[in-house]
Amino acid sequence: MNTAIENEVDPGLPNENQLRSQGIREQRMLLSLATPAFLMIVAIILIPVGWLFYLSFIGGDGQFSLEHYRKMIEYKSYARVFVTTFQVSILTTLLCILIGYPLAYFLAMLPQRLAGFFMLAVLLPFWTSLLVRTYAWLVLLQKNGILNDFAISAGLWETPIKLVHNMTGTLIGMAHIMLPFLVLPLYGSMRKIERDMMHAAANLGASPIQSFWKIYFPLSLSGMVAGSLIVFVLCLGFYVTPAVLGGGRVVMVATQITAILENQFNWGAASALGVVLLVATIVILYLAGRFLKLDAALFGKH
Amino acid sequence: MYKFSNPAQRIRSAALVAGLVAAATFATGLSAADPVTVVSWGGSYGAAQDAALFNDASKNSGIAINRESGASMSKACLQVESRAVSWDLVVTGSGGSAAAAAKGCLEKIDFSVVDVSDFIPGMYTDYCVGTDVFATVMSWNTDKYGQPGSPGAPNSWADFWDVEKFPGTRAYRANNVDGALEPALMADGVPPEKVYEVLSTTAGMKRAVDKIRELKPHIAVFWGSGAQQAQLMKDAEVDMTTGWNGRFDNAKKDGAKVGYTFNQALYDFDCMAMVKGAPNKDTAMKFLAEISKPEYQANLPFHITYGPTNKKAYEVTTAPKELIESLPSHPKNVPMMLPVSLDFYAKHRTEALELYMEMMSE
Amino acid sequence: MASHPDDQSSTKASALPIHIQGLTKKYGRMYALNNVDLEVRSGEFLTLLGPSGSGKTTLLMAIAGFNRPDAGSIRFADTEMILTPPHRRNVGMVFQSYALFPHMTVAENIAFPLKLRGTGAEETAQRVADALATVQLSDLGERGIDQLSGGQRQRVALARAFVFRPRILLMDEPLSALDKKLREQMQIELKHLHEQLGVTTVYVTHDQREALTMSDRIAVINDGKLAQVDTPHAIYNRPVNRFVADFIGESSMLPLTRDDTGKLYFEDHLIATDYQTETGKDYALLVRPERLFMIGDETVDADKTITFSGKVREFVFQGETAFALTSISDTHDLSFRFGTDSSSSQDSMRPGDPVSLGLNRQDVIVIPQTSDQ
Repeated sequence: MNTAIENEVDPGLPNENQLRSQGIREQRMLLSLATPAFLMIVAIILIPVGWLFYLSFIGGDGQFSLEHYRKMIEYKSYARVFVTTFQVSILTTLLCILIGYPLAYFLAMLPQRLAGFFMLAVLLPFWTSLLVRTYAWLVLLQKNGILNDFAISAGLWETPIKLVHNMTGTLIGMAHIMLPFLVLPLYGSMRKIERDMMHAAANLGASPIQSFWKIYFPLSLSGMVAGSLIVFVLCLGFYVTPAVLGGGRVVMVATQITAILENQFNWGAASALGVVLLVATIVILYLAGRFLKLDAALFGKH
Repeated sequence: MYKFSNPAQRIRSAALVAGLVAAATFATGLSAADPVTVVSWGGSYGAAQDAALFNDASKNSGIAINRESGASMSKACLQVESRAVSWDLVVTGSGGSAAAAAKGCLEKIDFSVVDVSDFIPGMYTDYCVGTDVFATVMSWNTDKYGQPGSPGAPNSWADFWDVEKFPGTRAYRANNVDGALEPALMADGVPPEKVYEVLSTTAGMKRAVDKIRELKPHIAVFWGSGAQQAQLMKDAEVDMTTGWNGRFDNAKKDGAKVGYTFNQALYDFDCMAMVKGAPNKDTAMKFLAEISKPEYQANLPFHITYGPTNKKAYEVTTAPKELIESLPSHPKNVPMMLPVSLDFYAKHRTEALELYMEMMSE
Repeated sequence: MASHPDDQSSTKASALPIHIQGLTKKYGRMYALNNVDLEVRSGEFLTLLGPSGSGKTTLLMAIAGFNRPDAGSIRFADTEMILTPPHRRNVGMVFQSYALFPHMTVAENIAFPLKLRGTGAEETAQRVADALATVQLSDLGERGIDQLSGGQRQRVALARAFVFRPRILLMDEPLSALDKKLREQMQIELKHLHEQLGVTTVYVTHDQREALTMSDRIAVINDGKLAQVDTPHAIYNRPVNRFVADFIGESSMLPLTRDDTGKLYFEDHLIATDYQTETGKDYALLVRPERLFMIGDETVDADKTITFSGKVREFVFQGETAFALTSISDTHDLSFRFGTDSSSSQDSMRPGDPVSLGLNRQDVIVIPQTSDQ
């Protein structure tokens, strides 16, 4: 408009202030939309975790104390329980990758509709109770269970093999339960790999095996890392399956926490275990992240 | 303010008033008899208590109850600490009640209301009234080691530990030290009457845990519940285990090849405690008094082989002689057993558990 | 191995001819390729042109080895390749999606085929640098793929496809994702690159203008069959059937009748006397809109020029040209396109204006009326 230029005193461009305040109003609206989510995070994450921290520093007399942490150093069982927990979690994650990667690859190669059907089979166990699935493994694997009975009658082995009430049984059960958590993100990242990528690799001279390791595998890595992280972190806090299939021989942090709560009603000691597990997990993920460049894999920056 | 201009309207208003009065009466009636929340364990144990104690006691006393499962002293304590008590009466092991009482989670029992004058001595404390007597026994696969009492059958904790004389697998308690250390000491040669004396020192507890450590290579499974004890024996997953006598009797009824002995068993009781700040303290106390009467306890053995805590129950019960004699509280059986020391658990449970968990986690 | 047998030390690799015979590929009952014979000459730029679903991409994929034809032969020079897996065919390919590897830098992408061939580090670096220079991206070697513009990605894909000196280069609509201006610029660059490399190139596009601009020869493909294979000039000026005529360039069709002496008429206009036509078949006159010209008051030589009189039905000004739809009879229209200038009164043609359009007899194109051969 000419008027603004001609006037000696600049009255501002038309509607400038109104448009600016409209913009600010819209931003505030957007912020207020995020408020419920923000409050929820505070209510269900920050406050309970803060409370956990607080309790872990309160001794039996109600005063500030490091007694719970001191006890963890005093008795070797705590260190061992943490080692077992990370051992079980890592082994379960590796087992899931070993089984889940070919499975996801198979699904990704299938036509969409058929893949949906098979995916249903992978997800089906999700819809039955965790306890039922765990006990089903017990029935299958125990000394006089279905598997041993079958193998003995088929002449595969003569005396029952110990498949459950130990680390083996725990890992079988955990891997079964965790598998979908790995397969889902992995399948997603595999589906995103364009067919042209593999064509290009072959065209440039890569054999099928070279194409897989140099192109397909690196491109599916983001899904695999995401899935592995989910599995690993879920395993850390697992209680039911190791308790039932471990036969008391696989003592994980959650088992120890339950024992302390059930026998001593000691929230402080239990909280301290939770805090140490949380801190150890964060440290491990941080180190793994620096080592593997997880953020790049997770957020799609290659 | 209101003018009733026509009869129909007047009648309608009258009906409204009457309805309100009735509703108010009903409401106060309800609050006067809020149901008492009674929490027990699941499985055959809770079912036996319902059949023998709770249902009849509720009917006869007119006290309505609200039955829940999943009794746990830690949950009760959590309710107390978070000032959100919804439970009134909770079933617990004797050791658990002692620990919970020490934490201040329980109400004192009003013995002017609950009559324990006819109770077997020691079957009640200031914070808990015994409901049944059970034994922690050793049980075994009878196909493998023979019927109880037959020549060559296991008969002592030393036999439980003797994997040369009784080759096979064992099961033992997981992640909980209650009743776990005493058998180890007896197997190690400590006479029953000296067991708690030895256990009262850290060295004594370590000695017991070391003895279990020695057996650990043969312990195929650590059990976590009474239901699991029964299942392990039914499926012949292990050859010998520790556990509670009633569970094995029920497993035997289901066809399990299982036998046990009261010799050197731990004589113990379950009891009913009141959560501190229970919402219906007075009615709950009356209900506790009701179920402690001999006429209800007399019915318990029909449902599970745990003995009454009220001596008079043995007089009034219609149970056959063999059943009575199979109860852990029968005078014939009691002398063979070691009564569990609540004093030991109140003082040493925390340390004992730490030592036990060290052995478990190895 | 130190160097691939196909490698040549000079930048200009020797090219290979491609002989395709009886190539057939069915999807269900649909023929994607129906007994296709095609000779691609050594070093030429041949474009496969056709609408979507015509089979042009299937043909290209068959040459690359990405699909398995039902029958046929594909020879590179004298070597039968039909059973050779794609990674042993040693042909370069530029994909429509570019298919650049996102987990590698620009330089790593281009070095990929060299590393697979065991080329030494020094030579690899040199060849990557050369390839980058050829596509004018010398400074971008260390960039990630996601940091490149569409045009830059296109060049990287190109560099990757020729860096290992394949003797055959395949391109699957490589420019379709670029905007018009960049596309036209790249067409010229690709043409230059082809001249520089001298490699046999098979190029797939559905854009007839692109095909006309770049190709030595064009193979028009429809319904899994080759409709015509010829130079751009011939394809445009001497389409062999209605499909090719319709698909390439703008055109109007006028039905022709034939008298006993073999003369062809449109209504009362004599169109041709000595065309090679078969009795019993219908023919049509194909008129390219730009070949028409406006006739004013001047007299025309009827021996050289056919004159159509009619009325303007619609007129559109389109910048460098203007377009008029002219009805020359009750049932037939002619499209007329002509160049504009700033003063031309033609720019202000109005619907309803009478107009006379001339067509030189040398521009007459007679084609069979039906496209079935």
